[in-house]
Amino acid sequence: MAVKDTLRARWFWYSILCVVLWGPFMIASKLGAREIPAPAMQFLFTIGSLPILLVLLPVRHFRLEKNVKGIAYGTASGIVAGLGTVALFAAYGTGGNTSVITAVISLYPMVTVIMAVLILREHLTWVQMAGLVFVGGALILFSL
Amino acid sequence: MHIAPWFWFALVVLVFWGACGIFQKLTTNHISAESAMIWLVVGYLLLQPFLYPGKVLFHYSTQNIIWGLLSGFLSTLGSCGLYAALRCGGRASIVIPISAMYPLVVVVLAPFLLHESITLVQGCGVACALIGVALVST
Repeated sequence: MAVKDTLRARWFWYSILCVVLWGPFMIASKLGAREIPAPAMQFLFTIGSLPILLVLLPVRHFRLEKNVKGIAYGTASGIVAGLGTVALFAAYGTGGNTSVITAVISLYPMVTVIMAVLILREHLTWVQMAGLVFVGGALILFSL
Repeated sequence: MHIAPWFWFALVVLVFWGACGIFQKLTTNHISAESAMIWLVVGYLLLQPFLYPGKVLFHYSTQNIIWGLLSGFLSTLGSCGLYAALRCGGRASIVIPISAMYPLVVVVLAPFLLHESITLVQGCGVACALIGVALVST
């Protein structure tokens, strides 16, 4: 019954949509980065993301919250995400195995969790600690 | 021990995208997820003057330029899917681990589209990474 309910829930299909889009995002990144240098790939990546912005703005009737802290943190998140994506394209551009590189970069929530503990003074749950053990194991296996 | 160059770039990705997660959390403490998405793209745009490759951009093959544009489109649309899942009542402790499963799609598609395969040890690493990131994201 619970499975049936989950399969009917919109949130579940939006989550699957996310997975279905991010997988090909990585494949497209690899294909482009074989010829185009990382900074130029990030330049194109940003242009590619603009149509979404052009849809989101009218949906919100061009009204955005005017909270200065929110705007500053939001813009900063774009800058650090963009710099990270340059490194992603550089990693793919080296010709390494796409599946392995993707698996390693998918570990970034680990860094967020560690930073949240150090900077935001959040606490780790036992499940998250177990997750960190698996993440550590993965990194060791990839470095073999 | 020789460590491949991609590994160092991947570590840089981990640090920047990890920091991005903190900034996104701080952002959504003050503004809505949709606005956060818009300001994220504004952040991307601020980097553009430093990334513009000049006229050489037009010398790259059209096909690869399309891959570059498509990567931005798919990534941002995927992020919209994530926000929509959370807005439609999905619990973050379930939605985020599901969204972290995208490397599986790459593992399945890579042999067909990129003619790449992985070794048994790498396969174990991918499995560990998926379990680890799902547990960490809860």
